[in-house]
Amino acid sequence: MMWLSGGFVFRRGDSVYHRLDPRVKLLISALMFVTTLLVRSVYELLIVIAFMVAVAAVATVLRRVGRTMALTASFSAIIFLINLAFTRNLESSFLYAIRFVAIVVSTSLFFITTSPDELEQVMKTFRLPRDVVFAFVTAVRFIPVMMLDTIQIMDAQKSRGLELEKGNVFRRVRNMIPVLIPLVVNSVVRSGELAEAMESRAYGAVPRPTSLVQYRASFRDRAVAVAAVAIFAVAAYSFYYVLPVQFP
Amino acid sequence: MIEFQDVTFVHQNGVKALDGVTLKIESGETVALVGENGAGKTTLVKHVTGLLKPASGRVLVDGQDTKATSTARLSRKVGVAFQNPDHQLFSESVEEEMSFALRNFGFPPEVVRNRVAWGLELFGLEEYRKSSPLVLSGGEKKRLTLACILAWDPDVVILDEPTVGQDSLQKERLAGTIKLLKSAEKTVVVVSHDIEFLWPIQPRVVVMKAGKVVGDGPAPRIMQDEALLASARVAQPQLVEFHRSLSSKPLEPFADALEARRWVEGAFRP
Amino acid sequence: MKLTNILDIEGLTFRYPEAPKEAVSHFDLHVPEGEIVVLAGPSGCGKSTLLRTVNGLIPHMYSGDYSGEVKVAGASVKGTDMRDLSQRVGFLFQNPENQIFMFTVERDVAFGLENIGVPREEMRGRVDEALRLLGIASLAQRAPHELSDGQKQRVALAGVLAMRPRLVILDEPTSLLDPKTAGDLVALVAGLRKELGTTFVVVEHRIDLLVKVADRLVVMSEGKKVLEGTPRDVLFGEEAESYGVATPSVTKLQKMLAHDGLATGGALLSPAELARELEERQR
Repeated sequence: MMWLSGGFVFRRGDSVYHRLDPRVKLLISALMFVTTLLVRSVYELLIVIAFMVAVAAVATVLRRVGRTMALTASFSAIIFLINLAFTRNLESSFLYAIRFVAIVVSTSLFFITTSPDELEQVMKTFRLPRDVVFAFVTAVRFIPVMMLDTIQIMDAQKSRGLELEKGNVFRRVRNMIPVLIPLVVNSVVRSGELAEAMESRAYGAVPRPTSLVQYRASFRDRAVAVAAVAIFAVAAYSFYYVLPVQFP
Repeated sequence: MIEFQDVTFVHQNGVKALDGVTLKIESGETVALVGENGAGKTTLVKHVTGLLKPASGRVLVDGQDTKATSTARLSRKVGVAFQNPDHQLFSESVEEEMSFALRNFGFPPEVVRNRVAWGLELFGLEEYRKSSPLVLSGGEKKRLTLACILAWDPDVVILDEPTVGQDSLQKERLAGTIKLLKSAEKTVVVVSHDIEFLWPIQPRVVVMKAGKVVGDGPAPRIMQDEALLASARVAQPQLVEFHRSLSSKPLEPFADALEARRWVEGAFRP
Repeated sequence: MKLTNILDIEGLTFRYPEAPKEAVSHFDLHVPEGEIVVLAGPSGCGKSTLLRTVNGLIPHMYSGDYSGEVKVAGASVKGTDMRDLSQRVGFLFQNPENQIFMFTVERDVAFGLENIGVPREEMRGRVDEALRLLGIASLAQRAPHELSDGQKQRVALAGVLAMRPRLVILDEPTSLLDPKTAGDLVALVAGLRKELGTTFVVVEHRIDLLVKVADRLVVMSEGKKVLEGTPRDVLFGEEAESYGVATPSVTKLQKMLAHDGLATGGALLSPAELARELEERQR
């Protein structure tokens, strides 16, 4: 599943798209997501995908999206075959397979262009409790730190003669114990230290904490949001009332 | 013998952690590896036991290329004590913790028993034999990790920042252990920022900066090379600074305060 | 006792629940405002516990048998809540990694201010000021994993200073830093004391870094205060080393030479100063 995480990790960018209000980016991704569910033919879906590629180009993440698409396609080949085996319908199986790719791309576009900081803002707009938002923030913040911990623990244990890849499946699982225990212990110690630092900096002191940054949708953000809704309306209308373009 | 032949290593994020390192450490030598954080010291150490493999160049341990063998095999010869004991302690008891590596290396049970008993005694940990390693203090944990490594009697012992978080009494004990290893003709490599700790040991000093070895030689020579120390952001030992500031002085800087006192007595007593 | 004390600890005794021994025992300490006080002693002597009684983590977060009194600027720590305490006492922990929460430096510096509900405009000013004081304004938009250890420690300290505390506690702040970076941090602390008049209580094993800037050295052992005085007086005494206080090697030499009548034992001298003094005396 490593490829999937690669398709969803934020990397800093400086495109027009990156600078959009995170809520607008969420809206665009959500609309694209819904549109992929509305389409009736592969041809229509290809139009939607072409649109996504255009968005990716604006966001200067074409190469990353391309990689995600290629990697997802291998997975959706399996979906295609399973579908074909059950339905014996070539076109609908094909549609399902490509739809999977489109769904992954639409969500991935949001995550790879939205910083965790902006994600937090989005969560706040949905009025999620501060504890939930903060738990999310720290979880994401400490992923790289914990990965580093894991490497260091594995190095230390390998240096004491532990061979992780040795033996059958059961032996291998047992081999992980000397890695997992220090990892858990370290996480517990770390959360203790975090709790102390949070407490020392008045976490939870007032029911409604203030915020240093405020995302206020600019005129451009609003214009983009309106355009996105308009395009969606046109797409939804034509997919329903215009004759479906059939697969040649 | 450990040999680095023009070794280069690049991290996943594209940072060149080792950049053409060539270095030879003979058996029985005591070497201090110094340099600021991020200079590549730990990356270098990880190459010795094959935890990292060079992108180009070769690392040889007793003539064997680390690429052609396993970390487990290399570790039998080279014991590495990493900086943070919490990254390795996991057993139910101190005794079990010490037996872990010995069992991995396939020592027979009676040897395991003897070695564990020896290590516990040497490091003053006998009273904790049955306790969980997690209840030990920071200093005791550090000693335990060292005991764990010495128990399998490796030819080379590498200590990564052994003095971090240690008070002066614990440091003295550690210096004693290093002397002991020296007299047992072990090869000892100490990675440390703690220049004041390293100086009385008078090791060969290897200075690293941005993935390169920029200085290599006996402690007195390296520690008097101010331009080198400044460029690598390494501190100068206080006694070397004192020696430098004297207008008439002995050829070599003083290894410890007692030596300095003796010289001052002779030179300044009216 | 002077009225200008920023910190008064009187007869403090604390024992963790179910612990066999008291972690801090009958402890007294009075710190006038603007001092830099170094707290030393062997590992496990109770330094960490003592620090936590000053900013209120004990007894507000950790309870136990608590007697005696800790007062910050005259107000009892026990009777003050964490919201107020966080603005009176700042706490910099040993590991910078575990005290940075947010994804950008400036958001993290603002963390405490957000928590106490400081309005946005005021917060912006205080964050910028803290960034400037620590010389990290250029890092404002960086993520924590893009920073070096030294930079992380500065970010954490900026977050502490943004709360404008009059007393700041540093718990082994340099133990993970290389000596040059550690020296820079100590110089920064000395500068902050001068510029802001902030009082610092520092736990540190590397005394050599601090002897020049510290006003006072307090040595603890087994929960008790065993030595207190200027760094010179404590380090020149007979007992300091037996408590695991690392006497800098040049101080060791100065002490021996003073004993031999070859150097003065007036003030602590740097290596260069000691050499100069010896030569001047000879003339």
